[in-house]
Amino acid sequence: MAKPSLLSPLKSAGFLFKKPKTLRYPFELKEPAQRYRGFHLNDWGQCTGCGNCADICPNDAIQMVEIPELEPKLGEKKERPKLDYGRCCFCGLCVDICPPGSLRLSRDYFHIHFDTDTFTFLPKDEKANQENFLPAEKYSVLKASLSHRKENYEGFVSDLQYTLFEPERVHMPEVSPEERKVSFIEQVIGYNREEAQKEAGRCLGCQLCEEACPAHLKISDYIKAIFENKTDESLQKIFEDNPIPAICGRVCMKHCEDACSLRFRGEPLAIRWLKRYVADTTKDYKSALEQKHVKPSGKTVAVIGAGPGGLAVAYFLILKGHQVVVFDELPGGGGTMRIGPPLYRLPLESIDKDVDYIHSLGVEFKFNTKVGRDVSFEYLLKNYDAVFLGIGTTLSRSTKVKNSKKCLLALDFLKDNKIGKQCKVGKEVIVIGGGNVAMDVAREALRLQHMQYPKNSVVTKAVSLEDWDEMPATKEEIEEAKEEGIQFHPAWGPKEVVLDEKGCVKGLLCMKVKSVFDKQGRFAPTFYEEKERLLEGDMIIEAIGQAPDFSFISKKLFDQLKFTKYKKVYVDKNGMTSITGLFAGGDIVNVNLDAVTAIADAKIAVEGIDKYIC
Amino acid sequence: MKDPLKDKLTSAFDGIQIQPADRNQISITANKESILSVLSLLKSNGYNHLALISCVDWIEEKRFELVYILSAYMEKDKHFTDMEKTNIILKTSIYREKPQFISAIPIFENAEPYEREIHELYGIHFEGHPRLTPLFLEREYKTPPFRKDFDTRKYVSDVFDPIPFVGKKADKR
Amino acid sequence: MRELELYFGPQHLGMVGNFSITLKVEGDRILKATANPGYLHRGFEKLMELRSWIKNFPMVCRINVVEPDSMEMIYAMGVEKLAGIEVPERAHYIRSIYLELARVGSHLFGLWAYANMLGFDTVAQWAMYHRDLVLDLFEELTGGRVYHIYIWPGGVRRDFPEGFKDKIVNTLHSIGGCVPDYDNTFFNNRLFYERAKGIGTVTREEALAMGGTGQVLRATGMQYDVRRVEPYAAYDKVPWEVPTREDGDAYSRIWVVRDEMIESVHMIFKLLDAMPEGEVYNRIPNPFKWTIPNKEAYVRCESSRGELGLYLVSNGGDKPYRVHFRTPSYTHGLTILEKALKNASIADVGNIMISLYVVAPEIDR
Repeated sequence: MAKPSLLSPLKSAGFLFKKPKTLRYPFELKEPAQRYRGFHLNDWGQCTGCGNCADICPNDAIQMVEIPELEPKLGEKKERPKLDYGRCCFCGLCVDICPPGSLRLSRDYFHIHFDTDTFTFLPKDEKANQENFLPAEKYSVLKASLSHRKENYEGFVSDLQYTLFEPERVHMPEVSPEERKVSFIEQVIGYNREEAQKEAGRCLGCQLCEEACPAHLKISDYIKAIFENKTDESLQKIFEDNPIPAICGRVCMKHCEDACSLRFRGEPLAIRWLKRYVADTTKDYKSALEQKHVKPSGKTVAVIGAGPGGLAVAYFLILKGHQVVVFDELPGGGGTMRIGPPLYRLPLESIDKDVDYIHSLGVEFKFNTKVGRDVSFEYLLKNYDAVFLGIGTTLSRSTKVKNSKKCLLALDFLKDNKIGKQCKVGKEVIVIGGGNVAMDVAREALRLQHMQYPKNSVVTKAVSLEDWDEMPATKEEIEEAKEEGIQFHPAWGPKEVVLDEKGCVKGLLCMKVKSVFDKQGRFAPTFYEEKERLLEGDMIIEAIGQAPDFSFISKKLFDQLKFTKYKKVYVDKNGMTSITGLFAGGDIVNVNLDAVTAIADAKIAVEGIDKYIC
Repeated sequence: MKDPLKDKLTSAFDGIQIQPADRNQISITANKESILSVLSLLKSNGYNHLALISCVDWIEEKRFELVYILSAYMEKDKHFTDMEKTNIILKTSIYREKPQFISAIPIFENAEPYEREIHELYGIHFEGHPRLTPLFLEREYKTPPFRKDFDTRKYVSDVFDPIPFVGKKADKR
Repeated sequence: MRELELYFGPQHLGMVGNFSITLKVEGDRILKATANPGYLHRGFEKLMELRSWIKNFPMVCRINVVEPDSMEMIYAMGVEKLAGIEVPERAHYIRSIYLELARVGSHLFGLWAYANMLGFDTVAQWAMYHRDLVLDLFEELTGGRVYHIYIWPGGVRRDFPEGFKDKIVNTLHSIGGCVPDYDNTFFNNRLFYERAKGIGTVTREEALAMGGTGQVLRATGMQYDVRRVEPYAAYDKVPWEVPTREDGDAYSRIWVVRDEMIESVHMIFKLLDAMPEGEVYNRIPNPFKWTIPNKEAYVRCESSRGELGLYLVSNGGDKPYRVHFRTPSYTHGLTILEKALKNASIADVGNIMISLYVVAPEIDR
């Protein structure tokens, strides 16, 4: 190569006369990029205090601190992230993991201060802190600091496509509506091992669900065990708090999933199905669970009702060494679970699996034994050290409109179909009610119609006082009912059951509903009297609620039983009613009316009973 | 890897294990006695680029694994054989109690700093190495710091003053 | 003449980063040079054994300040190889474009260092200014100017923002438009020729024997480039050249750097044209439950200074069991530098070191 010239640099001499390219900061400002990773912003309204940001932070720059004045909603913690800018590297992993997307980075990046304490702070945003976030006209870059920031100055924000968590659930295989509406085949097929592990792998371990679960199951632990394919360990974890996983894995009202932090921008973790997976894949509970030998205490406890509450009380008491006898009028265990949830949701084998295990531990079950008929309540109170009342609600309410005697009641209908003789249904069935029981009744009636009249056209109509948005049944239940072809007639109230000349049901006369609740939120339906319509049907089933049956308790004792203002049996913090030695739990005590709350009641009662008798 | 070379290796060295290629990567495990001969055989067969010498402390198995990563400098541009794409991971184990090995400098000159580093961080002595003096570290350590039984966090808390936690004084929000 | 011992660095205007060389000199001539790294030893590889797979991702880039991007790339490649994660097609293109931008940025930084060391302050300022324009692009794309934390296992962290293609093209045109100025003032300057020609010569044989890669090798006429040899990202999707020079001295190496920058810009244009639409990220497993099977992997890529490798071992846990970076400056700065400094003049120490493109933090790790 030839030697370069000495003169060539002179060609650049022209630059001497050009304007410099440098910015005259701070008079000329350079706007940070749209995605700039600067100081944190946190929307306190959305933040749940789940702590995933603190867990993912590579530098331990985030600490969860308790905020005493916060009033957390269900599925929220009283904590908020606190940043230490001596440690933070502004990588933004906390933004990408934040399930509700409340934590973001702004485009501010100035903070100069003599006091090192000011470098740690609780990020908020302009919604919660107008003092430090200023509009553009009041903002000056010369004063910029953590307490002088521009409002609406978001930088790096979370994007659902690039999150570190998986927002979508592993699809649960189900029997198609066409197939399932003609039989009682179980609708949900259940996860296999790969699916369960994959779904369990979505859990972030933030434990918001555990707070929300009435029985406080150690959800994140048993989910982690599923992920690691240790189903036995998982089952052990479940059994610490819940002895009926096969039942709860199918019909639990899953308060946990309502609290799951993945719910904000995706589907909550399928906690219920995962519990079911563990219960179903374990062939034999006994070999999976360690039975510790406990010294018998010599005390005996009677449990009235073999529903979830009664079963849980029996299980936890026998673990403490007490002798337990369970009385139930049904031929098997499960209580309401045995008669209520239709076969396509909760097969009898699953109930028996749980009950049999509890039985195998030494709990004595006296089935087909109705307290008050076969054995007196007073006898139990006298001869046992303690009695647990877990009778649930066994009487169906009636609308009591004209001719309502011609209607069937929900529980009778469900019970007969599940453990007795199948009912003969009409071709046009009307179900009154908008709750989950009404959905069960309607969907069961539809199946029976398809089975009994395979060639004819049949229809099931669901009439409810509530409109779509107020209907108490769960969304998925309504959705599945729609898929199967149930006709909905929301916001119509029954006025009269219309009979034909022979006295057979011809239809239901309805009135349009004006409102269901009054201003205080109490149930007080009002109607447009003039807007009437006749729904035709040859069979009407009422499913508008249940009530407990206390007829077995003598008047004298019943008068001693205190009730709360919600007409529930009053219990103290030990689960004991106002009658000494009588404990209670389940639907007669709580307002949630579900299995897992009954278990929660049972756990309280067990501690109370244990304290009382020892 | 070309089969002749594989044959050559298996016939010449006892106990050599060659794993099948996995996306341009071949793993060879050899006895510690034969490592230098394997290295020079590979070098003379085209794998003339020593990319890295590394060491892994398998504390539970009580051994150090020395890892030599070799690849081939290509001869000409635009002619790519699988050989140039291939990385060979040559491994051997030495006892953890007796951390001694032979230097590979006679075969690959750039082994020098790598071995020096392993000596410093793992405490493995390389025979024939001209200067096993400290490379990176300033302090003396009882346990060489990259061994698995060296607890970094414990060392830091034992030796240095704790980092004052900022914001302890007053909780400013 | 009397032999003297001279300490060069760790703080010296003629070198970049904290690195020192102990020179044994006789008059102006260096008899023996000993490199002393360790001023920036932070024990990254040990620290990474204590952090989970995803927590290491914001950390690896800090190993090399000048070009953090290829560090991110090599870590992502290693994890992807171990965990068997596939990367979407578009992400491959974005990675390549991003890495080439990083190469331009890094080379401009290198040019700044070199020109600054030689006393060409004007050129140094230009290079720094133009590097800043590249950093503006990074800021736009990733939200960070220096540590971008952008390439993660499974793809890249965000797609191109709207209108970003045009911004890349405009910026690169405005930098490219200054190539004649650079040439006039620096590359075709007789002073540069006189200072660099024949200085710090590393012959091809020496480079091969000592494990040289990158410019050190390409300045001796060898077209060895990992992007070519074992293509990753989208480097096999578009045609491009490997610029070389013949003499193996500082002059050749800096010219290779210049040519490479220009080639990179051309490559970016081609990649931008060929870039498909689609996803840019395949979601990695839940970071709190992520374990990688018991396996080992060696991956390599071409950083702006040569072959960058990563030996990554997992024992089936949620953290790496062993991480070892093979950084190009390690060989260049410890083995080759010591050799190249022999018989050189004291005034050329910085010249040789920077032309070998030694970046101290990368050696120490």
